[in-house]
Formats: sequence, C-alpha cells, structure tokens
Amino acid sequence: MSDIAVADGEAARRGNTSAVALDSWRPPDTRRVLQLSLAAIWLLDGVLQYQSFMFTKGFGQMLAGTASGNPGVVASPISWDANLVEHHAVLLNTIFATIQLLLGLGIAWRPTLRVALAASIAWSLGVWWFGEGLGEVLNSAASPVNGAPGAVIIYALLAVLLWPSDRHAAMTPFVAARAVGAPVARALWLVLWGSLAYFALMPANRAPQALHDMIGGMASGEPSWLAALENHAASLVAGQGLAASIVLAAALAVIALGVYLPRPGARATVVLAIVVAAVIWVFGEAFGAILAGGATDPNSGLLLILLAAAYWPTRIAVTAPAADQRVGAEEARA
Amino acid sequence: MTPSWILDILAGVMLLVAAISAGRLVLTRSWAGSARETDIDVAHLLMGIAMAGMLVASLATLPNGVWDGVFAVLTAWFGWRVCRESRGEGVRVLADGHRIPHLVHSAAMLYMFAALNAPAATGSGGGMSGMGASGASMPTLSVPVVAFIFTLWLSVYVVLDLDRLSGPGHAHGSYFAVPALVGAAAGTGSVNVAAASAAPVVTDASRATVPGQTTGGSHPAGGGGSLAAGSPSGSARAVLLSPQLAAGCRIAMGVTMTFMLIIMI
Repeated sequence: MSDIAVADGEAARRGNTSAVALDSWRPPDTRRVLQLSLAAIWLLDGVLQYQSFMFTKGFGQMLAGTASGNPGVVASPISWDANLVEHHAVLLNTIFATIQLLLGLGIAWRPTLRVALAASIAWSLGVWWFGEGLGEVLNSAASPVNGAPGAVIIYALLAVLLWPSDRHAAMTPFVAARAVGAPVARALWLVLWGSLAYFALMPANRAPQALHDMIGGMASGEPSWLAALENHAASLVAGQGLAASIVLAAALAVIALGVYLPRPGARATVVLAIVVAAVIWVFGEAFGAILAGGATDPNSGLLLILLAAAYWPTRIAVTAPAADQRVGAEEARA
Repeated sequence: MTPSWILDILAGVMLLVAAISAGRLVLTRSWAGSARETDIDVAHLLMGIAMAGMLVASLATLPNGVWDGVFAVLTAWFGWRVCRESRGEGVRVLADGHRIPHLVHSAAMLYMFAALNAPAATGSGGGMSGMGASGASMPTLSVPVVAFIFTLWLSVYVVLDLDRLSGPGHAHGSYFAVPALVGAAAGTGSVNVAAASAAPVVTDASRATVPGQTTGGSHPAGGGGSLAAGSPSGSARAVLLSPQLAAGCRIAMGVTMTFMLIIMI
C-alpha cells in the first residue's frame, strides 16, 4: 500500500473525503502559477463581458470608436465588425463572453492548456484589431498610461511566454525564457517596454495638460474614494505634461534595457516594472475602470505586473521536456 | 440588460448544485453514517437556493434579512473551521486550506445580500431581477471595491480548483474512473460509499490504490455504510459522493458568484 493510500485512509477515517482527493495536489511551479494567474484574468475578462452594457448597441458603437484615426485598411474591418455587433449585440456578445470565459477555464484545466493558450493568442490578436483598433498605436493617441499598446496584446504575449514547453537551454534565467529562450524573451520585453517609452514621448502625451486630463478623466463614475485619488493625482501633474512624460519615458526605457543587466540589476528592473505598472493600473487606469461599470477588461496595468513577474530572475533547471505539464522544473534561487 | 435567459441558465445550474448537495446529504445520512463534509454540502445547498433566487425573482424563497442571517452563521462557522485548520498549517491554509474557499463563498454571499441596493424600477424584467424585486432592473452593490476584491479572490479559487482536479494527482480525469473502480471492487461484495468516493487517487503510473480495496472493501471508520457496488445505482451514488463532483459544484458556484458580483457593480 502506498504512502498516499495510507494518508488517504487517515483522511477517510476523519471523514474528510474531499480532502482525501485534493490533498494529493502538489503546489504548482512558478510558470504554472503564472498560467493560473493568466487564467484568472481571462475568467475575469469573460465575466466582465457579460455586463449589461455589452449587450446593448452601445458596445458596438464603442467598438466603432476604435476605428477613428486608424488607416483605412485597419479601420474598415473594424467598422464592419462594429456594425455587425451593433445589430446582433446579444448573440455576438454572448459568444464573445463565453469564449473568454472558456479561455480562462481552459488554461486552468491542464489537459486543455495548450489548446486554450493557442486559442487565446488567436483571439487576442483578433480583439486587438477589431476591438481595440490595434491599441491606437497607429493613430498617435497611444499612451502607456491609458493602456497602450492594448491590454489584449499582452494576453497574447503572455500566452507565448508561458507556453508549456522547455525547448531551449537546460538552465533558463527566468520563467518567460523557458518556452522561447532568453534572447527572444528579452527582445520581446525590450520591444514592449521600449514602445511604451516611445508612446510616452508622443506629442499628444507631451502636451501640458495631457496627463492631467487623462488621469482626471478616469475619475468619472468611480467610487468617491477612487475618484478623489484620481483627481488628486491629476492635480499633481497639472501643467506638467512634458516633464511627466520625460520622467515616465526614462523609467520605461530603463525597464526596457534593464532585462539585459546582471541578476541584481535585472531584479531591480523587474521591481521597477512592477511599481510602474501598478502606478499605471491604479492612477492611469483606475483598476481598469471596473468599479465604474462597463469595463471590458482589467486593462494593461495588471497584465504588465504579471508579465514582469515572468521575468523575475531565478535559475531554473529544466528537468525533462515531458515534465512541463507536471511539476516540471526545479527552481533554485541564486 | 444582461439577457434573462443567461440568468435563467445560471439559476438552473445553481439549482442543480443545490440538488446535488441535497442528494449528497441524503446519501451520507442514509448509507455512510460517518461525519463527512456535511457543512460544505449544507453550504452548497443553501448557496445554490439563494443564488437561484437572486438570479430569477420567481425562484426567491426567503427574505433577504433571513439570508443575511444564514450566511452570517455560515461565514462564522467556516471562519472558525479555518482558524482550526490554521493551527496546524499556519498561513499555508490560505492557499491549501480545505475550507477557506467556503469561507470566501459564504462571506461573498453575506456581502451580496447585505450590500444590495434596491434596483430602479424600469419594468424591463432583465438583469438580476431577483431578490424579490419583480419587474425591476438590475440591483447594484454598495462598496463595489469589496465586490471587486471578492471577484478576484473567487476567480483565483476557481482556477486553483480546476488545476487541482486536472493535476498529476487526478491524471486522466479520475472523476470518470469512479464507477469503474467501484465496479472493480464488486468482487468483495460491497464497497463503502465514502471509500469509493475517495478512491481515484493515483500514486504513480503503475499503481492505483482504492482505499476500499486496501482495507478489504470495508471502510476504516466502520459505521455500516456499505452499499451494493457495481450496480448502476451504486455507481451513481459513488459519482454523486465523489469529491470531484463537489469540487465541480464549487467551481460552478464560484463562476456564477463572480458573474453576479461583476454585473451588480
């Protein structure tokens, strides 16, 4: 009789049958924890899509608004899609919400992890175009403070980086490198945070009142405490658009490059990234405006925090390719 | 508004959860006789009924004040149980504790009933028309940040439950293996329900141990809780009492509760 069976007997004697089965569960490794975090965010995303507003014509009109300022080749499909959603809001939104809910559940359910991650990449790219107008990166309105380059593209990036395979080096410096390798993972980080630094310096974001208006605008519809927080933060940067943009861009540039530093520097970089992402999520995005109702997702700040966690420097020994769905890697902190 | 048929479906799922929990309570009282997780099944039964009533007005059973009291008691009960668990396991109980999700569920229900604001009457009949406010529009919750925190917490427990159910300890869908294992044990003449329900624990690739078999088909706790195995009714009972089904109910409840909290923000 196995040890576990003995333990089961003890638990059964206590009359604790659910504990019998669930006690055999082992804590997931870091990558699985991050996958589960992504699953929870997809789940939240799916549930948000079931809100009343999404079943109205207003949702289609909101989608149509993302076409504004984009080149015709990008904008035309968005307008077509928005028109379709406007006329079949209940059916299509039910499908959208259910897909997102299933993506979350699928990532959490181990046998469907790969299918769900692959589907989430395809879905994210579609939503990035048809639902977010490519995150406004082509119309000069993108700002890291309001969610650029689009929260949904970060879902896709996370799905790639957290893909359950270990095809590269036997030792990887951080979780995000396990599937794609350290050079590719670092390059993706550099492109993402570097683009955020670039967006921060765009003319629309350098205007004296740009940041003030952006943050102050998030107060609308929020609970009083959060609205007060937003208004206070907005007043701090009133008339300081250029200075604030430069500081923000400098911080984002440091983060972008910091992933190439030796371990202590890389750790400091990840901490800085988490702090900046948290500040963006709280002050720039008001927790994705979920408390105001009508939010379609938690916005980019939360996802940037999750992404940064995947780059936390650790020394990961990949034990076996087949083990990636189990407790596949042993992590030894330096 | 959120289409009423979505609310109807969720209410149906909640009634199913309540029915399963009621069935588990009846079976454990009648056949097992041992102290199984009665508190959890009672909580699921009450939550299923309460949530169905919140989702669909015609399914509302008790006044909100009564539900407030019920879930206050349940929250206190599970709080006490979690405190007892934490004496042995410390803070690990927050991630691994067996009853902490039930504490969170109970507290979320208490919050929903306590923080519910009366809906504005629109006559649309859509969206959370329950809570005894027939013909009204969606109610909202006071202190929505609490709803948001509960939403995040419940989402985490949903994905953790799914991970546990599909993890190495439950490889290849052990939930579906329950009837077969019970049938395999039929040679002993009988198998205890509680043991059978706990059976599908695979220790490694070559060995699968059924507690009922390792003890010669009798439950270690005794109690005369045996039933005929191998028969369709015996298999159905084993499935009904399986921990996987209880976890499935908890997942369904967590998703539905998350949905309700979000659309009432």
